Amino acid sequence: MTEATQTWEAPTIQLRSQRQRLWRTFVRNRTALLGLFLMLIVVFTAIFADDWFIAVFEGREARPLLAPHDPLKQDTRNRLAAPSSEHPMGLDSYGRDTLSRVIYGARVSLAVGIASVLIGGVLGALLGLTAGFLGGRVENILMRVTDVLMAFPSLIMGLMVLAVLGGGLLNMILAIGIVLSPTFARVAHGTTLSVKQNQYVEAARSYGAGNLRIAIRHILPNITSELVVLASIWTATAIRVEANLSFIGLGISPPTPAWGSMIRDGTQHLFNAPWVSLFPGLAILITVLAFNLLGDGLRDILDPRMQQ
Amino acid sequence: MKRTVLAISVLLLLLVALSACAPAAPPAAPAEQPAQPAEEAAAPPEAPAQPVVLRYADKAADLGTMDPHFAAATQDRNLVDMVFNALVRYKPGDGSVFEPDLAVELPEPELVDGKQVWTFKLREGVMCHPSEQVPAYELTSEDVVFSLQKSANPDTSAYAGEYTGMTVEALDKYTVQITLENPISPVLFFPKVADYAGGFIICKKPYEAMGADAFKTHPVGTGPFMFDSYSPQEKVVLKANPDYFRGRPKLDAVEYRFMPELNSRELGLKSGELDVINGANEGQWVERMSGEEGILVDVYGVGEVATIHFNMTVPPLDDVRVRKAIAYALDRDEFLALFGPPVAANVYSQVPAQFLPGGLTEEEVKELGLDYAVDREKAKELLAEAGYPDGFSLEVVSSERESYLKPYQSMQAQLAEIGIDLKINVVDHPSMHQLIRQDVNPIVVYVAWRPNADVYLTRFYHSDSIVVTGAKPDTNFSHYTGIDDLIEAARIELDPEKQIQMWKEAQIKLLEDMVSYPLLYMQQVTARRDYVDYGHELKSVLALYPQITENTTINK
Amino acid sequence: MTRYIAARLVLAIPTFLAVLTLVFFVVRVIPGDPAVAALGDYASKEAVEALRERMGLNDPLYVQYFRFLADLARGDLGTSMITGKEISELVRQVLPYTLQLTVSAIIVGSLLGVPIGIYTARNANTGIDYVGRILSLSGLSVPAFYLGILIMLLFAVKLELFPAVGGGDIHDLGDNLRHLFLPALTLGLIMTASVTRLTRSAMLNVLQEDFVRTARAKGLKERVVVMRHALRAALVPIVSIIGIWAANLIADSVLTETVFARPGLGKMLVGAIMQRDYTALQSVMVIYTMFVVGVNLITDIVYSFVDPRITH
Repeated sequence: MTEATQTWEAPTIQLRSQRQRLWRTFVRNRTALLGLFLMLIVVFTAIFADDWFIAVFEGREARPLLAPHDPLKQDTRNRLAAPSSEHPMGLDSYGRDTLSRVIYGARVSLAVGIASVLIGGVLGALLGLTAGFLGGRVENILMRVTDVLMAFPSLIMGLMVLAVLGGGLLNMILAIGIVLSPTFARVAHGTTLSVKQNQYVEAARSYGAGNLRIAIRHILPNITSELVVLASIWTATAIRVEANLSFIGLGISPPTPAWGSMIRDGTQHLFNAPWVSLFPGLAILITVLAFNLLGDGLRDILDPRMQQ
Repeated sequence: MKRTVLAISVLLLLLVALSACAPAAPPAAPAEQPAQPAEEAAAPPEAPAQPVVLRYADKAADLGTMDPHFAAATQDRNLVDMVFNALVRYKPGDGSVFEPDLAVELPEPELVDGKQVWTFKLREGVMCHPSEQVPAYELTSEDVVFSLQKSANPDTSAYAGEYTGMTVEALDKYTVQITLENPISPVLFFPKVADYAGGFIICKKPYEAMGADAFKTHPVGTGPFMFDSYSPQEKVVLKANPDYFRGRPKLDAVEYRFMPELNSRELGLKSGELDVINGANEGQWVERMSGEEGILVDVYGVGEVATIHFNMTVPPLDDVRVRKAIAYALDRDEFLALFGPPVAANVYSQVPAQFLPGGLTEEEVKELGLDYAVDREKAKELLAEAGYPDGFSLEVVSSERESYLKPYQSMQAQLAEIGIDLKINVVDHPSMHQLIRQDVNPIVVYVAWRPNADVYLTRFYHSDSIVVTGAKPDTNFSHYTGIDDLIEAARIELDPEKQIQMWKEAQIKLLEDMVSYPLLYMQQVTARRDYVDYGHELKSVLALYPQITENTTINK
Repeated sequence: MTRYIAARLVLAIPTFLAVLTLVFFVVRVIPGDPAVAALGDYASKEAVEALRERMGLNDPLYVQYFRFLADLARGDLGTSMITGKEISELVRQVLPYTLQLTVSAIIVGSLLGVPIGIYTARNANTGIDYVGRILSLSGLSVPAFYLGILIMLLFAVKLELFPAVGGGDIHDLGDNLRHLFLPALTLGLIMTASVTRLTRSAMLNVLQEDFVRTARAKGLKERVVVMRHALRAALVPIVSIIGIWAANLIADSVLTETVFARPGLGKMLVGAIMQRDYTALQSVMVIYTMFVVGVNLITDIVYSFVDPRITH
């Protein structure tokens, strides 16, 4: 098939063959494929937890689809029951089906994990790159701003966002994003300082390339790999921080399930009913695994140095 | 490369130096620390006897205050209970019986010019603990008068409201006379001078010598144990008072640790590093721990009562049919299952009959047909009658604490059955306390222990106590005004029988109007190693811990 | 360099002011009253009012703000609104525990994380690499709390090797270190996970660089190539992440401190929020910000050591 396309005009061929090469690099990377596969499972679970896409048209409440039970239905008399064929992950402290809650919980947790890390990453990378690249007074100001941001632990940042913007899921994502941003900024800053000294940057400058062009074409690609790794590192943290913030009223309200909150509830019953916190914990592990393997695969593709 | 290694070592060295220099500045107190027998490790053979230390772990994260007249949190109440005495005391392990403490006997009141006079004879030879500023000295009426006057002053006490209309004077060195403007029954009087809250007697000289702020972390009283040291977020160490008037305690010291994490307390008990721990309010936990070898679990009163209050001024809750519909929709056993017996039990009246005179028993309430046994069909009918056949929605805030989240979430699920949609916003505990006092919740779950029926009814149902708008805004979340006369009449009734009758009548009205729905009480749970003997039977303790006294022993 | 450090220290002042101003006003905007928190829900209304007055909470906000700044300028951190203790005294008692835990966790995290990262990078896409990656990812996913309980269960209850409860006697080094072991291991392992991840990735990048290939082509030993040429170039992001951990650990060690019932600055911070102890919160933030500024400064200086091309 590649041979057939090769007869066509040059630019397209180049583009296409490059894209194909990237794709082949990716496919050859078995761990990255595994990551993609896990990621798809998690996203699939989040989307098809219930039949909202049918319910919307029929104008009724969504019914559980992938989830075997209603995640809100309490069976208090059997609370903390051990895993069984009826409830493969047991019941939580309110007698709710843990499996169904893990499945529904993918929605909030995935949203938090992706969105807040994205906000933190983009914001931080921008700060760090600009500061490191421009240097001088701009660097000083921007990096002192990150010092200020860094001084706020998530709980206090959460309180600040709560005080200024009010509660809710979106504001919580924003709060976590801001908490994470200085860590991205610092790594981006340090790496930019180092990359800036490389000969190819000097070379580009001697060509007369503009600042923006150098930053985007030469520096950004060379610091992405660290940022992608950092992003995959903080994903799990972000998902868990949700639990810490939801109790000050910043997250989602009960009884909506989310993995962080489920772990938090489950730790109260760690020795009586370990399954309550274990399974959401495994769900986070799988998601983090997916993000990280995928992240590594992406890095291999994006990073110019990785391409022979 | 060398420079890299150098750089890293410099960084590490810097940090190490930073940590090393901090403890190097010698703290003032711990001169006697080595003498303090806190660690279990070193027991040189030449030491005649190893000091006997009871290691207790509470669920609090840190100390609040050990000034007994400000002590409000459980850990504070526990500690002051060991350090201080009062004129009378609740019998150790049984909060329903009064006995003399610093007083020689329980006095009978006299009526003088329409005023009620109580005369207390003090024990002789009761010694105040020595402190840095003041050596040990004998406690006299001067200290008692000073202490009770401090309790009556809102600047120096959180419980001043309890002491209005009371004058205290010293007749001689060992006699104290208390005069009340309005006579009250012993059931209401003794708690004011008993070993709880404002009743604790502090020693005047050390308080004046060190000042109010320092006293909070260095209490001086007359109790079986005296203050030794406080390590923030870690522990308070109390040591035996060798001159205690009931005899030297059998324990040499009590190490009171702050350990908010339940699982850690459990592991600490199992590893032998702790002797007594505060347990979980959870039936399954009690069951499992009771099965552990060498560990005993105690479940005892007093029980903190959870009640659901309805704001009767906001629609649709202003309609009694709606409130009754909610009552019929709720199933006490559902709530109870979330805690599990024996940790919690159902209550049927606003004052818990299990612990206090004046409460209605389950039988009495059922006989009157006011138990509102669950009947969701009837609930739906009532809702339809009131004009809400499809239900309605309400929004509430809840504390993040389990004791609040559990009732709210269970109520949410149960009310959904009759079409009522309850939205819960979780906030942290202090926020909830402020928000509900600003009247944001149409339905308030409140968990509280109050020392007698009068306080329960006054604080929650007297019109003066209505939140925001009352004359003395307090915790009347329902805005109820219907039993003011009964509360006031009962307060000054001297015949205990008649008094109890009035309190019961008041609660029948509350139930008939469905002002609030009494839910359950949560008992105290502590686990101990089997070699710990408290020295008394454990039925109910107001201070919410098993009580450690001069008779508590460790029999290893 | 000295000029750079001096400039940074001067710049720290606006950083401080910004942090403190934000904290000062935010804690006063959120609901919850320190007087009620201190007195409990059973306290009488008069007592709460009297305490608010004594705490100075009834004064206009700006008066409270400037009073706070003035006290701070004199080096007075104030007294706790709850226990009445001098905050400086509380901090002095708590700080050693925090620093011990932070430093030892950083040592564990770096000493384990960097070598494992290098090793897995050199053996990329082999069995050992997969095992290392999965383990480090598990480390990222497991909550500190969970790991702490497991470590405690294993070492304190089953094996009875180390104590589980408390920070130990600060004046008895042996006792102190025995109590430090398990929490340091817990935090250190969690930090190891992210240091391993970043080191592996940074090394992988560098091993592809021309200068490394050149070094190899020159026939240098692989060990020398990796340690002398590659690691050095990869060190900047590694130093960044260690610096970030150093700053974060103070606040993020709360869970570990709670599990092992150790005193700590992070725990003090959370306690102050939960009690609405405004003065304690503000003062802890002063200390914490100082620490963050300091760590970031050190990190930036270390950059120019590990990569001499970076100048300040």
